[in-house]
Order: sequence, then structure tokens, then C-alpha cells
Amino acid sequence: MNKKDYRDMWVYIEHDGEKVQNVSLELCSEVRKLCDASGDALTAVIVNYIPACELEKILNAGVEKIINVTGTGYEYFNVDAYTNLFTVLCRKYKPSAVFVGGTIAGRDFAPRFACRLPTGCTSDATELVYDEKTGDIEFIEPAVGGKMMAVITVPVMRPQVGTIRPGTFKYQPTGSRGCAVIEERIDFNPADIRTEILSFKADEFDESLNIADADVIVCVGNGIKGADALPRYRRLAELLGGKVGCTRPVFDRGVLPFKLVIGQSGVVVKPKLYIAFGVSGAVNHVTGVTDSDRIVAVNKDPNAAIFNYCDYGIVGDMDEICEQMIAQLENR
Amino acid sequence: MLNILCCVKQVPDVNLVKIDPETGSLIRQGVPSILNPLDANALEAAVQTAEKYGGTVTCITMGPDMAAEALRECLAAGADRAVLLSDRAFANADTLATSYVIREAARQLGEFDLIFCGKESLDGATGQMGSQLAERFGASQISSMSLILEVDEEKKTVTAERELEKGVETARSTYPCLFTVEKTNYRPRIPGLKRWKASRTAEITKYSSKTIPGLDPEQIGDPGSPTKVPRTYPPVTGESGFIISEGSAQKDVEKLLGLLADVI
Repeated sequence: MNKKDYRDMWVYIEHDGEKVQNVSLELCSEVRKLCDASGDALTAVIVNYIPACELEKILNAGVEKIINVTGTGYEYFNVDAYTNLFTVLCRKYKPSAVFVGGTIAGRDFAPRFACRLPTGCTSDATELVYDEKTGDIEFIEPAVGGKMMAVITVPVMRPQVGTIRPGTFKYQPTGSRGCAVIEERIDFNPADIRTEILSFKADEFDESLNIADADVIVCVGNGIKGADALPRYRRLAELLGGKVGCTRPVFDRGVLPFKLVIGQSGVVVKPKLYIAFGVSGAVNHVTGVTDSDRIVAVNKDPNAAIFNYCDYGIVGDMDEICEQMIAQLENR
Repeated sequence: MLNILCCVKQVPDVNLVKIDPETGSLIRQGVPSILNPLDANALEAAVQTAEKYGGTVTCITMGPDMAAEALRECLAAGADRAVLLSDRAFANADTLATSYVIREAARQLGEFDLIFCGKESLDGATGQMGSQLAERFGASQISSMSLILEVDEEKKTVTAERELEKGVETARSTYPCLFTVEKTNYRPRIPGLKRWKASRTAEITKYSSKTIPGLDPEQIGDPGSPTKVPRTYPPVTGESGFIISEGSAQKDVEKLLGLLADVI
């Protein structure tokens, strides 16, 4: 395989016919930077059609080519048709890299078509760097529970496939550059779709579980003793007009639901104030809070990594400090 | 009778792994190896399915000899058979090479109707093994599966619930079908003493690169792995923030609330 024969970097545009997923826009902006460094054309792969206003957003991220795919088999997302689609497209157009949002659907089909091609697939990079010397992308990601960073490359095979979690990068419209559109028809026999969807029941909207846009977040980490200790953190959040979130281990212990997990594998938050109680500061979590305006850390371990990310820290017992905050706020 | 495969991994307990501050490398000494926690949920789903519809559960893992310990845990928790794929030639495998070896070894064990995997491992955490194993086995795929609703042995279909970003989907797939399992409804059981004792001395089937027929040496271990890890480094952290130290919790909080006066 001659790597030089493989050109252009692709972003898969995930959408529901009305709206494009934010992660796809975020990827367009970030991969734009890689393409500026490598000289590749930033290419959006769109299956079926999206409204003009959504297309505008993609063009404004500096997309230079669109491969617009139509055909049978794509009425609803299914792994069988999408794996085939990307296998066929990659063999025909030979892209250097393919980026897919790390949604449940993206994480279903991207590793699968990478396996079929075959080529290398990485997941959850938090930083992407183009290496001029090798022509490879460095996918940099937290490893071993966030205790170290690992650089992953695909040095021989092409395309380099990566799934990236929503919220990892920012959508920054930089203006349209003029865009070529390639129409492609790839039919997948609907009879070959092996998974049928019988029903879908949307989760009831629970405002307390919607923490992505909260102005204040009180985050409890693995230092929490258990569910019994939660009411005081809820009370503090209430006094501050905010919401309670948690780190991944707190979910793993069954103390709080997954929708409240902040960090790489959960929600990325951007509050005005973020208070971490008993949070160790593993990178996987911290990457989800770095855009907070103000970060406060409370931890009994003076060496906890979270103190290196905070504006203000208090070394002490999380429950005691929380109670003290409640008392003083209530007395105002 | 359902023939069920459950793919598991032994992992270091990453919560206990420390980093050498001088070299930035991992200190794995004294860190216990455990059955990947989410694999225990996958096994529970597999065993419950076998119990309800009739069938056998084979657990398979690739790893060093000591990974047999994780398999014994699976046998104690209800697996019927355990298979260890162990060979130095398998080392440094990424998900592509690992899925290849597991598929080729499984050919020796029969045709599987249902395959269960954990959602991701504690250490590598790529979450890619499920999809790539499904591809290797030519299986349909139900990821983020939270509950098996029905297995229809006549039609060879399985119906299950999935936990998606915005709700619960009910999907039906044909055999062979691979699931990645959510922990919601499949809390691992605590093995009974008798089963646990039996698992200590149970037979574990072993395969090496030499005993899996037709294994392509170019597709295993390091040569078969397109992704490489050229380097690692400790996470870059900033300077420590301002540590408030006023002598008591009450005074610390007074100071903090003062500093935050503009935002609260």
C-alpha cells in the first residue's frame, strides 16, 4: 500500500434528516486544521439529504468536497448498510483518513468497516496532530484510566479511521471555501439488513439530568461515601441555582445515573462555576470540564491531580466543606 | 440448544495503577489483575439467556497464562466451558488482530448463535472489540443491549432492548448475533461455594498460535495490528490553583465564597 495514493480526509455527517449532529460539525472544524497542515481536501460524506441551513453550517467549516450518497438501505441507521457503504466508498476514493462521531451509531459501524477493509481504527482521541515527516495523524488520547496520554498512529495502512466523542472539539465556522459535490449511488438490498427496529421509546425529559447547559455544577467524585451522602450536594446545587453531576466511578458504583457523568465518556459541560467534591482529577474527567469559567476543587488528598486544574482549592473533608457552604449560603 | 460465546478480558485494576513520576511509565507491580468489570455483566446476560432458553456458555479470552484466573471466575459465575488463547506471538495485538485470533480459535469450538461482549475494557477502553468481533463472525450486531426480550429458536431471531442516547429501542436481529451489554439489568451473580470450588480445578482449554489451524502469522500480534503506540507521556497539568488555607473549614468556606462573589 502506497500511502501517497490515499488523499483527502473525510468526516461522516450524522443527521436525522432535519439536524446535523453537533459532533459532525465539531469534527469538520478540527479536521479542517489537519487538512491545512497536510494539504488534503476536507470532505464531508452525507447520506441522503439535509436542509440547506444545515448544509450551510458544514460549508462554513471549510468543507471543500461533499460526497452525497443516496440509494436503498439507509431509511434508518443500520450497521449492515453503513458498513457496506463506507467499505465501498473507501475502496473507490481512497481517503487518507475517515472521522466518525463517537455516537452509539458511529461506534457501531466505524470499527466494523475498518475491520472489513481492513485498516486501523482508533477511538476517543482528545487531540489530533498531523505529523509532516511521516504523513500520519497522531491520535492522542488518555489511557489507563486517564493516568497517562498515549499517542496512537496507523503508520502503514490507509485510511486512518477514528471515532471522536461529542464535545471533544469545537465547531468554529471560518467561512466557505467553495465546494465540489460528488453524487454517488450505492444500493444496499434492504433484505440484507439483519437488524430491524421494532419500537423506540424516548426517555422522559428530566430537567435534573440535563446538565450540559447548567450555569453551576456541583460534581461529586469517587470520594463520595454513598447515595446517603447525596442530599447535601443536591441542596448546595439548589442554593447555587445549579445541578449535580458526577464522575464515571460514581456511576460505576451505582450511586448516580450515567446521564450525570461528566467527562470524555459522558457529558462535556461549560458552566460558569464548577465545584469538584472528592474528584481525583483523572484526564478523562477533566477534559469534560476545562471550558468552565471557574473551577473549585475540594479533596482531602493535597496531592490530588484536580488541584492542578482548579482556580481555588480546599484540602479537607468534602462533606464538611459542603455542609459549611450550605450553612453560610443559607445565612445570607 | 443455544450455543453461546462470551468474550472476556483480564485487565489490571487501573484504579490502583500508579505512574512513576521520574520516568512517566506505569508501575504495574503489585497491581491485581481482575476480570474486566463490564465483561462480568456480559457473562451474566449470557448465563441468564442460557438458563432461560437452554444452552451452553463458552467463555474465551486471549492473554497470558495468568488470564486463566479470569476464566475460572467466569466458570464460577455460570460459564460451562473456558478457552484461553495464549502465545507470545499474540502479544501487542490491537483490536483487529485480537478479533482475528478469537474468530479463528472459535472455529474449533463450533458454530455460535449468540455472542456476548462487555461494552469496553477498563484498560484499553476502545470499545471496538464488539463491532470488530461481529464483523469477524459475520454476525448481526445489537450494541448497548440492556435486556433480552425473546429468543426464537425456530426463526433463529433474538429481540432485545438497547439503551440509546435519547431513549430505549427494541430491535430484532437474526443469528448469529453479537451483543455488547449494558450493566442496567445484568448485575453479576455471586457464585455459590460449590461452583466456586469446582472452578478452581476445572479444565481450561488452551490454544496457541500453533494449535489454531490455518492461523495467518501476518494477521496476529504486532504484525497484524495496524494501530501502533509510538509513545506515551504523563498528562500535562497546569500549576496548582490557589489553595485556600485559613485554618478551619468555616474560614476556608468564607474565603471561597468571597472569591466567588461575582459568580454566585
